[in-house]
Amino acid sequence: MRDDDLLIEAIDLRRSFKNNEAVKGISISVPRGEIFGLLGPNGAGKTTTIRMLTGQIEPSGGHATVAGCDVVREHQQLKERIGVVSEEQNLYERLSARNNLRFNCWLYNLPESRVDEVLDLVRLRDRAKDPVRMFSNGMKQRLLIARALLHKPPVLFLDEPSRGLDPIAGREVRGAIEQLSREGMTILLTTHVLEEADQLCQHIAFINQGSIVANDTPRNLKLAHGQRSLLVTVGDRRESSALSELTLNMDNSEDQARLMQLMALGKVQAVHSQEATLEEVFVEIAGVYPA
Amino acid sequence: MHLRTILAIARKDAIDILLNKSMLTVLILPIIFALLFLFMGKLIGGHAANILVYNPGQSPVVQVLSTAFDKVHITEANSPADITAAFGPNGSSKDSPYDAGLIVPADFEHELQAGDHPQLGLYLNGNNLNTQNITLIQAALTSYARQVTNPQAPLALSTVVINPPPTTNFGDLLSTFYGAVALLTSFILGTSLMPGLLIEEKERKTLRMLMVTPASFTDVILGKLFVVLGYQLLLSLIALAIVGGFTGLVPLVLLYTLLGSCLSLAIGLLLGATFQTAGTAGAIGGMLSFIYILPAVFSGPLGALFGNNPIIQVMKVFPTYYIADGVYNAMQNQGTFGGHLLDLGIVLGSTLLLLALTTWILRRQSSVAASI
Repeated sequence: MRDDDLLIEAIDLRRSFKNNEAVKGISISVPRGEIFGLLGPNGAGKTTTIRMLTGQIEPSGGHATVAGCDVVREHQQLKERIGVVSEEQNLYERLSARNNLRFNCWLYNLPESRVDEVLDLVRLRDRAKDPVRMFSNGMKQRLLIARALLHKPPVLFLDEPSRGLDPIAGREVRGAIEQLSREGMTILLTTHVLEEADQLCQHIAFINQGSIVANDTPRNLKLAHGQRSLLVTVGDRRESSALSELTLNMDNSEDQARLMQLMALGKVQAVHSQEATLEEVFVEIAGVYPA
Repeated sequence: MHLRTILAIARKDAIDILLNKSMLTVLILPIIFALLFLFMGKLIGGHAANILVYNPGQSPVVQVLSTAFDKVHITEANSPADITAAFGPNGSSKDSPYDAGLIVPADFEHELQAGDHPQLGLYLNGNNLNTQNITLIQAALTSYARQVTNPQAPLALSTVVINPPPTTNFGDLLSTFYGAVALLTSFILGTSLMPGLLIEEKERKTLRMLMVTPASFTDVILGKLFVVLGYQLLLSLIALAIVGGFTGLVPLVLLYTLLGSCLSLAIGLLLGATFQTAGTAGAIGGMLSFIYILPAVFSGPLGALFGNNPIIQVMKVFPTYYIADGVYNAMQNQGTFGGHLLDLGIVLGSTLLLLALTTWILRRQSSVAASI
């Protein structure tokens, strides 16, 4: 095992299913404590990549280490060092939240006192005795995260963590992810909610047809691929009928000068950034909409 | 393969089964069947003849009367008047709780030997005895009296019996029958529980979660086999205890119980590996109940009535027939060493064959799953 600052490192990772190459040489590096987003449409190769990185399937080619473990040769040690929240809410519905977590304590040989710690973390301790089938989707998702954190893994894989959640539950889950990141956990996240990725991830890789088509920080991606423009509201504030809107391109020197002039005259009432969204960036790069 | 993870899975499943209403129903089924057989036994074959006896001299003649019945319950009367009261003056009572009554003089045997012609009072209830029984009882008592008077038998009787009947009486045969049927039907539990447990893990995608924990697929299977075997053995033994099945060669009965449980689990595991939905596996498992019930019915005392009927030959195709055959023989303290070895060998061989087939199917499925 190696223990350096790159908690996830994949080099030219490939996977073929019969004659279909699902992942075509993916390379990513995720340093300790970072949230890394893997985004792409359905069938792009996200889940296959996660299954390779979590040791569920062997790569056809390339090499990957996660938490210092080779995903093929050190498969058993890898299982002890990763937490996985899959896209399915795969909990034992008849068992209580506490018994679901106790089961994982038995599997990992952990003290059962750890159950209360993670239940506190996801704010489910007051519902610990309730059968999971009585939980809302948001509560189940939080319980899945609690289960993945039980053995304190240094790396967490989150596959669509806010899938099927209402906005409030989604915000709760995002809050839990942010807290984990602040505590130094390395997280690889797949999501189709690009605003979520924008909010949470320090780095994002767009994957399409098995290949990474862009890999950078959300800000750099938006700057590189979106329009740098401002929506400016000008006119007399006292007469709303006299207000008008102008779109000024910040890469155009004439538009820059015009903005300065309007501000000097005191006619600028409001300025809105028209930065590109990640979705627009993705569409521009990949030519398709993310799932 | 890790013992810790196997036990963890078994522990989780043990709790989960108790919280699952349909599995809980399957779990209590052997107890319900056993109680049903116990009730039937009481109703049909379990009746003990009630005999009221006044026997101040403790004469052995009461034993002669007892041999006329399969099971007897003897009540000691305080005086001859108790017996006449129970059967009415001159047998006038129509609803006596007793099947027979006997008044024996205090010195019966001495009076016989002295040639005093002592009077033996015999009362019989025709509700539970036919004319043939009554004649035989009278003949037996008279024969006993003659034997006491003159111990030298008046003839040398040479008897040849072909197709000797079982030494056990009808009541014991029925008890064995219910014991074996209760045990065989209890094996339905393993065949019904095992596929449900395995398929649920696939259907609910919890198996995928388990595959990223320290548990391996082998651990998952072994954990489930372990917990179902535990429940199977526990319920089979309870069923046997209810119907009084711990008779005859008890260690052999226990060995058949263990091997039968393993066979039941192997069939259940094969269903779990073959079918993808719990509903289908459950329906097929339900249909397979007949391979436990029919051999139990056709290989015991009832089977003897059918002789070499083709149905019996068909039953011999099922390994469960050999469990039933072995259990009957063990309970009746019968069967040869070679016969038991053959029965046990067939059951063990079938179990291993089914497990090998299941392993092949599961390996094939996992390689297919990895390639899609």
